[in-house]
Amino acid sequence: MPWVSILILVPLVASVVLMLLPATERRLARAVALVASFLTLAVSIVVLSLFDDQATVLSQVDHLDWIPAAGVSWDVGVDGISIWLVMLTTVIFTLGIIAACQHLPRERASVFLGLIMMAQAGLLGLFTAGDLVLFYVFWEFMLIPFALLIWNWGGAERRSAGLIFVVYTMVGSLLMLVAIVATGILAMDHTGELSFLMRDLAGVPFGEATATVLLAGFLLAFAIKIPLWPFHGWLPRVYSQAPIVVTILLAAVMSKAGVYGLLRVGVPIFPEGVGNLIIPVAILALIGIAYGSLLAWRAPTMRLLVGYSSVAHLGFIVLGIIVIDRMAAQGAVLQMINHGIVAAAAFVIVMILARGTGTEDIDRLGGLAKGAPRLAVAFLFVTMAALALPGSNAFVGEFFILGGVFDQYAWMAVIAMIGVIYAAVYMLRMYQGTMNGPPRGVQDGGRAVEMTGRDAIVLVPLILVMVWIAVWPNSIVAPTRASTDLAVAPAQIALDRPIDQIGVLPDRAAAELGVDDQKAWIP
Amino acid sequence: MNPGAALTLYVMSAATVVALLLAVVPLPSTWRRLPEWVGFAGIVATLAIAVAQWGERQTAFSGELRIDRFGLLLTWIILPAALATILFSWGEPSAAGRRPEFVGLVLAAATGMMLTVMSGDLITLFIGIELLSVALYILCAIEVSRERSLESGLKYLITGSIGTAILIYGFAMLYGATGTTSLTGIALKLDTMDGLLTEPLLVAAIVLIVVALGFKASAVPFHMWTPDVYQGAPTPVTAFMGTGTKVAAMGAFLLVFTGSTQQASGDWRALIGALAVVTMVVGNVGALMQQNVKRMLAWSSIAQAGYLLIGVAVGTAAGAEALIYYLFAYVAMTLAAFAIVMLREREVEAGDTLVAFTGFGRARPWAGVVMTLAMVSLAGFPPLAGFVGKFLLFGSAVDAGMSWLAIVAALASVVSVVYYLRVVIVMWSPAPDGARPMRRLRVPVSVAAVAVAGAVAIVALAIWAQPMLDLCADAARALMIP
Repeated sequence: MPWVSILILVPLVASVVLMLLPATERRLARAVALVASFLTLAVSIVVLSLFDDQATVLSQVDHLDWIPAAGVSWDVGVDGISIWLVMLTTVIFTLGIIAACQHLPRERASVFLGLIMMAQAGLLGLFTAGDLVLFYVFWEFMLIPFALLIWNWGGAERRSAGLIFVVYTMVGSLLMLVAIVATGILAMDHTGELSFLMRDLAGVPFGEATATVLLAGFLLAFAIKIPLWPFHGWLPRVYSQAPIVVTILLAAVMSKAGVYGLLRVGVPIFPEGVGNLIIPVAILALIGIAYGSLLAWRAPTMRLLVGYSSVAHLGFIVLGIIVIDRMAAQGAVLQMINHGIVAAAAFVIVMILARGTGTEDIDRLGGLAKGAPRLAVAFLFVTMAALALPGSNAFVGEFFILGGVFDQYAWMAVIAMIGVIYAAVYMLRMYQGTMNGPPRGVQDGGRAVEMTGRDAIVLVPLILVMVWIAVWPNSIVAPTRASTDLAVAPAQIALDRPIDQIGVLPDRAAAELGVDDQKAWIP
Repeated sequence: MNPGAALTLYVMSAATVVALLLAVVPLPSTWRRLPEWVGFAGIVATLAIAVAQWGERQTAFSGELRIDRFGLLLTWIILPAALATILFSWGEPSAAGRRPEFVGLVLAAATGMMLTVMSGDLITLFIGIELLSVALYILCAIEVSRERSLESGLKYLITGSIGTAILIYGFAMLYGATGTTSLTGIALKLDTMDGLLTEPLLVAAIVLIVVALGFKASAVPFHMWTPDVYQGAPTPVTAFMGTGTKVAAMGAFLLVFTGSTQQASGDWRALIGALAVVTMVVGNVGALMQQNVKRMLAWSSIAQAGYLLIGVAVGTAAGAEALIYYLFAYVAMTLAAFAIVMLREREVEAGDTLVAFTGFGRARPWAGVVMTLAMVSLAGFPPLAGFVGKFLLFGSAVDAGMSWLAIVAALASVVSVVYYLRVVIVMWSPAPDGARPMRRLRVPVSVAAVAVAGAVAIVALAIWAQPMLDLCADAARALMIP
């Protein structure tokens, strides 16, 4: 069975069905959305169960020619990097759909749910695409549902927020399209035929100058989507104006698109160009860590605080990828998952608080722990995970990244530590400001914000996943190892890194050296 | 030599004459639709012949006409556009008294467009362009009781005449430089004479022809007439001008430059490339300012002409192939968009303003979906036909070493996203209180059919892009044969 294609088609078909439902059929819409999202989750579990964790390249590939003359095909599959992002997407979207169904928007609920399912189809396609053009197709495809969700159901400034979101993203992505076209055509000299398959393009020697230019074309798109400082201008407006469920999805899943692209497309296809861009990108990432943390510290609302903290956390992930180190890259993948789970949980808590109190301003709230002890416990747990306390899931990821960064560029690790310290400051500010101190913002000591059973359905699974990763991080990291090793290996070779740092030899290099076993080559 | 090869043109001309003659014959009221039926019959018959004729090149009238896969494939775009135009006017009250003339002139313009893309000689090419222009001058002004329509026709006449004058001057110089008016002859002549390529006469001819065809394709800086004419002309006519004329003008560009003066491409590649850049930038920025949807579509058609010109500027078969594919996509998107504008115009006072579209998608979801598809595809979002077309055009530019064209096109497209999506937002946002539609008329089946067909084509052209591209590649190969 072409499970990976089914995985993308289920939410896509569901979104069409939902949008065709009459506006009055709210119950039916809810049922369709819930069934479809659980079905998608089930398919993703099937894909996971079939996944061979030793696989280096894309496996379970479904290939279908679309425009052979232009080298474009439907080519989807999973590898160690994408498998967990697929799982993250299906889990978070299932919880997001549940949260959305609990508090459906008053008008056109079926379209609201349909657009969320469409966005899920786009993200799943993005994380499984093995063809660069298909990657771009899904990259743009998910933009429309997200923009429409913001436009139609967002806050007071939803129009400008939606427009800013679209225009920012398009500036980067259309240049990426040119870079994609150029990559395919330049690679023709080497491969002989026009192809946009990533596995064909990895290993094409573009030469240092060309590879740098092409990689820069991709990087702008990634940097805007991540967002990397100074391309984060869209984030505060969009995060604060989007409906909160959409903000959860944006922060938890969509923000991974850029870093995923960097590790899946940027580093493996243009290894010769990476060397020139390590320092500039790392500096932007470091500034993002410091700047995002500072903004989070001073953020007036809870939503902005979590949003800015995302800038800092994603800076960490970018750093983990761009230093080109096996351990840091594994940490980056783990941290993508961690950040997805933790950001989702943090925004869920913001959602619960905002619903009970009617405000998201930190200064207007206080002392809620007294009336809402269960929420306070969950909040404290999420806070500890967000500031990467030893023993939490995020600690493992940050430890991997910082360890790898320290090995390559010690000074970067030192600066990045600032982010870890600041995380404690802003997360504790949010927790203490709302939960401790004299009661503020509610009448009955905070009972109105207490976590209900319905909230727990959304929040508890996230906390369970955090515990699971904290206790058994290797279950996540081990299947990613082979793929991340292969993703960074060409760049490691291009950078003349010590041979014992390289985990696996790419096909081309193995052929040149005349070794059969790609892993047993290390002397 | 085979006069029978031009059968498509005979059938179209005959249909034109019959439709026009109906204007002088008093028709009983039960037969009042006869002109339209004559038009349909003529177009369907011609289309069937054009499909049946698909094959190697045949010439007629000493090479004056070249019936090859290039001309036939473009005919496949022109005829549906003409059919859609007649369907658009089916229920138009303003066209009621002038049905025979309207249909006849549409058929005449379509004949001119076909003559243009099937021409094998500068003279035929010129006659084709003149025929389509003259028919369109009258069509623009056909609502004689409406001042704006007359103004539109007059403006188009004056600017169009200037373009025509420049075109004939350019053709004369090209004849002077090469000693022949035959497109084949010009290509062969340029092949043999290296020294000719730096000949000032040839360069002057190229510049003049680029300017003149730029007028017809509404490329910047020869676009000033477009917004006024588009807004003033009856909407069915505007739709026809936006689609059919564009196809004919691009066909002429390809025939004269990529096809015939390939050897002199060093002289014109940068020139047409610069024209494309200016057109994309000015067209997109101009569209951004518009509050009237018809004007917005006019500016957007200018911007789209810029993208299309990339396919000419690169001067390769790949460029021609991408351009022809994009023409199919462009015509589908534009017709779908104009169909929705027509629906709104019938129901609301000043229905072609952006404000009048508020809430239209909620009132008629299917129309909203069609317009959304058209706008999103025009903006180049994947996986729709507009995206595939842009992707191919970018590819041809990079392939020909003109990556700068692709980069400018990409940046200009960012601007276009704003104004295309603005229509989508407005359509789906709630109607302001108390602003119910003035009338809620039954949707005319003819217009709805065009809208739905356009939307289906937008999706189908993307899904079955490969078979479509095979056809376009055949057409491009036919074009490259001198």
